[in-house]
Amino acid sequence: MFELYFEDFHPGWTFEQGARTLSAADIKAFAREWDPQRYHTDEEQARASPYGGLIASGWQTACVGMRLMCDGYLNRSACVGSPGIEEIRFLAPVRPGDTLRFRSTATEVRPSKTKPHRGTVTFTWEVLNQAGEVVLSMVGTQLFLRRPAAADRGA
Amino acid sequence: MTKQYYFEDFAPGRTWEIEGPVVGRDEIVEFARRFDPQPFHVDERAAMGSPFGGLIASGWHTACICMRLIWDAYLADAASLGSPGVKELRWTRPVRPGDRLRLKMTVLEAKRSRTKPDRGTVLHRCEVYNQRGEVVMDMDGYGMFERRPR
Repeated sequence: MFELYFEDFHPGWTFEQGARTLSAADIKAFAREWDPQRYHTDEEQARASPYGGLIASGWQTACVGMRLMCDGYLNRSACVGSPGIEEIRFLAPVRPGDTLRFRSTATEVRPSKTKPHRGTVTFTWEVLNQAGEVVLSMVGTQLFLRRPAAADRGA
Repeated sequence: MTKQYYFEDFAPGRTWEIEGPVVGRDEIVEFARRFDPQPFHVDERAAMGSPFGGLIASGWHTACICMRLIWDAYLADAASLGSPGVKELRWTRPVRPGDRLRLKMTVLEAKRSRTKPDRGTVLHRCEVYNQRGEVVMDMDGYGMFERRPR
């Protein structure tokens, strides 16, 4: 039914997906709705800020990464949600015209002790710009169903 | 431009609480179509068959609502210099259509910069509650703020 189940992830598993270019209009539209700080919504005020120009909200960068993850592999997987993120780092500003890519690397896989049909995978998720610079990194966990036959054998 | 809130105003233990929006079905689907189109966020029927038993909001949607409530609570009038990141973010319960959210923020730590005397970093705990008083998301996040001009 799905292409990717819990068993398909292992430490070192990696996937890259591109690309999304953010325009000044994209940055300002997102920020007006969710994060209207001056350096996300107004070019003139952004120039006078420590960032020297318009930058994307870090939440927009995270959301773009999430979308690229869905397009890349998550919507072909038996993902059943995420309990959370251990860390998000906003490492470099994202500016108008930047083209973002997403990279996911699995670091740990743990079958559930209580629920034989699922397991948890820990990933490092990175969003990179066109220069290959990591602009955002996160350590996140997701739950995946186990491949049906494997779960039946385990049950 | 003078602001109401500078680094000095974020004393550990200080709290803010603010009422948030009712999250509608259409908004959940619209946000998720843009940023997180997993079946249980965009497709009612698929969501019914998922472990969640119905449509739920993307956790990033809840995080964005939390960010907007931080803005509404104090950030609009704060001398903010941005954020280096988030220490931990947990999605503890699903957000479902019709849920009304509320944010409580508590200052956990405030540290002056050692290298830049004009600023400091504040660690906040943000707890997002639903209308039943259950925590749906909690997050410890950093913000950098200018020190109050003398």
